Amino acid sequence: MNIRQVALLAALASVTAGCANEPRSRDTANENVAGETLARQVCSNCHGVTGNSNSPNFPNLAAQPEAYLVAQLTGFKAHSRRDPAGYEYMWGLSHKLTEKQIKELAVYFSAQTLLPQRVEGKPERSQSGETIFTAGIPDKAVPPCASCHGPQGRGNAAFPRIAGQHADYLVKQMTVFQRTDQRPEGSVMKVVAHGLTQENIADVADYLQSMPPK
Amino acid sequence: MHPVSWRFPMRMKRAIVRAAVLLALLATLWPSLAAALPAFNRQTGQNCQACHAGGQFPELTPYGRLFKLTGYTLGERSLPLSAMAVASAARVNNTSKSDDPKADFQKNNSLIFASASVFGAGKITDNIGAFLQVTYDNYAAQSDDGKFHGHSSADNMDIRYADRSIDSHHDWIWGISANNNPSISDVWNTAAAWMQYVPVPSAGSSRFIDGTAPYPGFAAGGNLSGVTAYAFWNQMLYLEVGGYRTAKGVTSFMSAGVPDAEKTRLQGTNPYWRMALSHEWGAHNLMIGTSGMLADVYDDPLDTSNPATVHRFRDIGIDSQYQYLLDPHTVTVQLAYMRDHHELPAFLANQPIEDVDGNALPNTNSVDTTNVLRAKASYVYEARYGTSVSFFNQTGTTDSALYDPTRVGGNIAGSPSVRGQTFEVFWTPVQYVRLGLQFTTYDKYNGASHNYDGFGRSASDNNSLFFYCWGAY
Repeated sequence: MNIRQVALLAALASVTAGCANEPRSRDTANENVAGETLARQVCSNCHGVTGNSNSPNFPNLAAQPEAYLVAQLTGFKAHSRRDPAGYEYMWGLSHKLTEKQIKELAVYFSAQTLLPQRVEGKPERSQSGETIFTAGIPDKAVPPCASCHGPQGRGNAAFPRIAGQHADYLVKQMTVFQRTDQRPEGSVMKVVAHGLTQENIADVADYLQSMPPK
Repeated sequence: MHPVSWRFPMRMKRAIVRAAVLLALLATLWPSLAAALPAFNRQTGQNCQACHAGGQFPELTPYGRLFKLTGYTLGERSLPLSAMAVASAARVNNTSKSDDPKADFQKNNSLIFASASVFGAGKITDNIGAFLQVTYDNYAAQSDDGKFHGHSSADNMDIRYADRSIDSHHDWIWGISANNNPSISDVWNTAAAWMQYVPVPSAGSSRFIDGTAPYPGFAAGGNLSGVTAYAFWNQMLYLEVGGYRTAKGVTSFMSAGVPDAEKTRLQGTNPYWRMALSHEWGAHNLMIGTSGMLADVYDDPLDTSNPATVHRFRDIGIDSQYQYLLDPHTVTVQLAYMRDHHELPAFLANQPIEDVDGNALPNTNSVDTTNVLRAKASYVYEARYGTSVSFFNQTGTTDSALYDPTRVGGNIAGSPSVRGQTFEVFWTPVQYVRLGLQFTTYDKYNGASHNYDGFGRSASDNNSLFFYCWGAY
């Protein structure tokens, strides 16, 4: 490297050092970047700019209860949520978020409109899923999903919205609850999911994905 | 013709088993390493598979494409250094039809430390990021006594400025890339600079492995100096245009370490373009695109005084990539085709040629065309166990200039035609290490299935087994 190149690099470094473009930043460690900016510039890559994700690998965040989103982001940041979807994608992105940014992100996504999802699977599967959602499986002491997540599956501060969520994501998360302790904050689901077969899980996931977004 | 035998030689078998056992032990005894990450992973804190489809670097996921297009600026500034190394072993099917097998197939059946790279990569500011690779080739040169000498040089380089305007109605990503290799700035794996993915060792035993078989590419090659501008609209339409010149002056670092006699010397500014349509639905995504480049390349890199010595290339390609990404499954199908139109300088065109017996061959061509097709399908389970199969077919005009009556590398037909397949299995025991085994078979080599070199060598004699262990940290 000759002297001209060194001088050019030094000049570039001095000009760009500390350069921040906070209104359109993708910096996950800058406390001055607004949550809404991070939602659009970073989170949207997987979850969609309106919280409606394309890929079932990533959950829809639109219309998810604000308090639930705060709890999840806090759980990722503290590494208390340890399922693969959490540590593979979310630990790193969340570990320097401030409480203010977490709150702003939650406000942003909870205010978005959930779009209708595709109807998948056979009708009889969805009917079986609806029965589990509304009445549970009494023989196996499985309570109805609606008892905690609400009659329309919209969730609340402690329980997530499950209506309109990707079926594949729901299946994977129910399997996490059923078979692991990777989501300790959701330990109540371990008991609930214990009595579900893989077929039950698939049925209820298909039904939930197709629930109209109210 | 010698019978084809595909028993593993004991040395190669032992080497592969040793490497596999060592890595399995590492993966078992040192699981925390799986969270110890190269530069981009440190920057984003995410696993490799967030950006690389099924963890099979360098192929990008939709998220990885956005990470690159936004200038490697997502995440936080961190130590921007990574290293990569490749150990490999190659075995050519038939080494007997050669005057000097030790020279033609150096290190055949031997496990070698092939190459290593150092990367300076990552976020610099909110809008500027870089991916700079310098590679050490352990078998770059060989002295008269047969001893190999290593050498380092600039490899892929991409420095970007990028910005993004996004809301619920529109999404615009735009940027400028200063880079040294046409299509290195691209984000789809069917781009010329990315489709060939395993670094190729220089030792002679690797001369017929998949990485040396035809891949659609730009004639100008790398070690250039270029600037391209690009835009990606609504994650649907991608446009990029730019120009490339010889790397010199302040941009000479883009070809640093490349011997002068091997540098690409371009005449003036040479245009490059790329257009792609992309669509993502559910776990599926599809891209259909085209790209091209006009390049005027001096015949002798050491003498650029005479404009009449310039080769004029016109390369136009079409490519397509489909991905299905839903944990734990990753499916990719790729198709790429490139047509190269090559106008030779006057002093090389229409020249008389004689064969070894002194018989006159047709005069050399003034224009050659070459067509290269590559198709590849791969499947990866749990970002850990993978397999792929690919097909390649190169055709083109016969030219007496290609006539070469030498053993092994010869071409008595004067034909560029090569056709074959590659079958691969690979294992990613931890996310930054991949072990792979490729078997490449040839139906046709230099225009013939049999006796392509005039000394009885068949295309299938070049069938090659290639084992690689590729790690990055």
